[in-house]
Amino acid sequence: MKHMIKITNLEKIYRTEEVETVALNKLNMDVKEGEFVAVMGPSGCGKSTLLNILGLLDEPDTGSFEFNGQEIAHYNERKRADIRKHNIGFVFQSFNLIDELTVFENVELPLIYTGVSTVERKKRVEEVLDKMQIMHRRNHYPQQLSGGQQQRVAVARAVVNKPKLILADEPTGNLDSSNGNEVMELLTDLNEHGTTIIMVTHSEHDARYSHRIIRMLDGQTVTENILV
Amino acid sequence: MIKNYFKVAFRNLSRHKAFSFLNIIGLAAGMTACLLIFLYISFELSYDNFHTKSDRIYRVVADIKTPTETLNADGPSWAVAPNAKLEFPEIESAVRIAANGQVLVRKGNIKFQETSTAWADSSLFNIFDFKLLKGDRKTSLKEPYSIVLSESTARKYFGNNDPMGQILLVDSDGKPTKVTGVMKDIPENSQVKMDIVISMSTITQQYKNLDSSWGGYGSYAYFLLKPGVDPKKLEKKFPGFLESRNGTQMKKSQMYPTLFLEPLRDVYLHSTRNGSKTPVISNVYIFAIIAVFILLIACINFINLTTARSTERAKEVGIRKVVGAGKKQLTGQFIGESIILCVIAFFLTLLLSSLLLPLFNQLAGKKISEGIFTDPLTLLMLLGSAIIIGLLAGVYPALVLSSFKPVIVLKGRFSTGTRGILLRKGLVVAQFTISIALIIGTIVVYKQMHYMRTQDLGFNKDQMLVIDTDGDPARTAFFQSLNTIPQVKSASASSSVPGGGNPGAYSEIENKKGDLQIANLDLYFVDFDYINQYKIKIIAGRGFNRQFATDTTQAMVLNEAAIKMFGYTSPQQAIGKRFKQWGREGKIIGVMKDFHFRSLQQEIKPLSMRIEPDRCNLISANISGKDVTATIAAIEKKWKAMIPNRPFSYYFLDEFFDRQYRSEVRFGNLFLNFAVLAILISCLGLLGLASYSTIQRTKEIGVRKVMGATVMGLVGMLSKDFLKLVLIAFVIASPIAWFTLYKWLQSFAYRISLGAEAFILAGLAALFIAVATVSYQAIKAAVANPVKSLRTE
Repeated sequence: MKHMIKITNLEKIYRTEEVETVALNKLNMDVKEGEFVAVMGPSGCGKSTLLNILGLLDEPDTGSFEFNGQEIAHYNERKRADIRKHNIGFVFQSFNLIDELTVFENVELPLIYTGVSTVERKKRVEEVLDKMQIMHRRNHYPQQLSGGQQQRVAVARAVVNKPKLILADEPTGNLDSSNGNEVMELLTDLNEHGTTIIMVTHSEHDARYSHRIIRMLDGQTVTENILV
Repeated sequence: MIKNYFKVAFRNLSRHKAFSFLNIIGLAAGMTACLLIFLYISFELSYDNFHTKSDRIYRVVADIKTPTETLNADGPSWAVAPNAKLEFPEIESAVRIAANGQVLVRKGNIKFQETSTAWADSSLFNIFDFKLLKGDRKTSLKEPYSIVLSESTARKYFGNNDPMGQILLVDSDGKPTKVTGVMKDIPENSQVKMDIVISMSTITQQYKNLDSSWGGYGSYAYFLLKPGVDPKKLEKKFPGFLESRNGTQMKKSQMYPTLFLEPLRDVYLHSTRNGSKTPVISNVYIFAIIAVFILLIACINFINLTTARSTERAKEVGIRKVVGAGKKQLTGQFIGESIILCVIAFFLTLLLSSLLLPLFNQLAGKKISEGIFTDPLTLLMLLGSAIIIGLLAGVYPALVLSSFKPVIVLKGRFSTGTRGILLRKGLVVAQFTISIALIIGTIVVYKQMHYMRTQDLGFNKDQMLVIDTDGDPARTAFFQSLNTIPQVKSASASSSVPGGGNPGAYSEIENKKGDLQIANLDLYFVDFDYINQYKIKIIAGRGFNRQFATDTTQAMVLNEAAIKMFGYTSPQQAIGKRFKQWGREGKIIGVMKDFHFRSLQQEIKPLSMRIEPDRCNLISANISGKDVTATIAAIEKKWKAMIPNRPFSYYFLDEFFDRQYRSEVRFGNLFLNFAVLAILISCLGLLGLASYSTIQRTKEIGVRKVMGATVMGLVGMLSKDFLKLVLIAFVIASPIAWFTLYKWLQSFAYRISLGAEAFILAGLAALFIAVATVSYQAIKAAVANPVKSLRTE
């Protein structure tokens, strides 16, 4: 299968006036199209930094990052934003929905920024809300929903643009186990339909949904378990 | 996308009501002040521009050089206009307008003492665009004893009947005068204003040589130049013209006039020949600056409140960026939001200003019409400026907000950073600098007003009732009858009283060297009791005395300024010197101490006094302070019995004198109102900023409380930061205010000195206001339970 992500010798160092923290230390990693990868490791091991770089929200200091065969490690913010909005969906631990927008409007947001027409937007948002079984909540505001429902809205927003890659940052971290399982089922389902998923998690239980677990320590991958 | 922005904007506004309220109210208040000032300024600038030929109309003025001084007259001599018209083909038309003062007009039982009357040449309506509703523009002022009335004046006398061809009795001698025209009321923004115009031929018929009077002044003159004529070139021809027509007389009288042409549109705004030392335009500038300041303060508020709240919007920015928003799109969104706020504020502004306009008119002493609120073009223009304001005020917050990094804000590791804080503090300093400067200005303006009203003027103006007899033949009998009213302590008659007009007389006075020196002297005709009654001090020689038979025709009293002008170093030296004035000759019998017969804005000018009972139309009655109403009623009863034809008109001298300060009082009031507004808007901003800064420090406050900090200590800590800003503002504002006010005070001949107390007072006021604003927030934060604030972390 084709490589979607190929990372070689990636380095990211955070500097404050007196302290230098190495977040990623010559990290190497490949993700193939259609894979479901879990990234695990203790706090401060560089998981989040990795996810931010993978999501093109942050840029590495050195090293190479190929996305779909394109070297993008040092793209500027505008170019990265362009790749991001067409290819990548995000799911966060704390949902990160906009409080001032309804469920429908939150899900619609990515389509607005990619310039999809109103009619098409309506169709696609309704489709995905239906799939996530939150259609009946379409006109509610995030605060009126339970945590599980909010995360489903967030997943709906992540997939509405049909991205090739979904990055999930502890997607079940703020949910009880039954709601958590539901979200994991959703992600698995998406993966089975061809979406590549990279998920950062603390939960061994959640990690077992993936194909492969990458374990990190001090900015490096230490082991890989292939589950499938 | 736009729809989405609107949605978010409105939901944001309604969710954060307090913030939106502060922001919109602050903006609306600033914009209202600006709009009112804009109306005021555009009204002032609109003077005389309704005349279609206004770019070709010029007022003719004269600088008259005498051996003693140069007089800046606001009109030429009587002969200039008609003769120049004949001489120069460049002049298409010329008109003389002579204000007439009070005139008694009667029709049967209807009688009014008209105050806004003038004589004018028949070319009046050819030059000016005053609208004639009835009558002929060319001929209505041709014949002697023709009168043109304004619409409202015509209604006073004739109701709904046609006034054309009707007869009015004009003046004390009651000459029958025919109504030959009715004009639309002259608009407020006209420099030439009158309700009644009488044909100039009415007086040229009585005074046959008026048209050839080269030395007599008393009328305004306006020229309408032919298209393309250069006024400067025409001006250059005037000296030769005057020389050829009047050269010998000029040499004899030693009065050399130079004629100038003032463009009509400049007369109201720029001329200083109308009695005031400062032209109207300088007030226009001052208010324009104030308007800009207030708008600046309001915009700063907006910027401060919006950026201070950025923490709350950070998450939204992060999410939008994650799902694909670019920086440009986000900038657009936030600028859009500020424009929406401005537009809401704009509609509030329209409402507020239309409600406040009558009040503002009263305050400014203007009649600015509400037409602006119904003219779609102006409204559109104003809306456009509101949008521009939104754009300007929104740019910085939008740039700040849209540059947030999603990685950082979504993790909640977010602080506004020192850069933004420094800028916000700078803006608060700017706001308070302006406010403090305005407070200092207000205090100084008020102190100067107070000084002018309480200053010893050198004469007695208390309980002085002045009655205008307008030269009625029965005035002497009436005057004598006042003795029978016990509450009238004393009475005297004169041609003029302080604060009113008086003639300037061509005079020849023997100077130190023994020559007769020519000068234009202000002149009061008085009776024997006037100087005593007004408690004017005689410092050399004596006052007028009935014992001396020659006093009635051959005696003159001068003031100190006059004898200085003629070179005397002590008042004694002037006693017994010769004078010639308006056909009389005699000796100077006394010197009086300078008193303020004009407002304190002007230096005390040389003044002469002579006895001339025929010219003493004003009666000053010193009445007892007890039961003033009854006293006036008693006087009026005498009046009605003896002068039944005339309405009884009187005024109190102190009020009359203070009327000269009307425009200064108005100026002060406007200044005060705008200063208060500026302070209020600044406080709104401070309130918002303080509340956000305390929210940001919630955790710190919690920790400090757990460690044992007291409420007082916390309030002090939270307030200190802001008070520092006010102090910095004070340091910047003081020299600016000092310099500006120093210049302003220069326009008063008699003025207060700029003491420290106004500055200290303003500083304390600003400090107090700031403490009150900030400490409310600080106390709220300090008394809160620390458990609550720490749990939110």
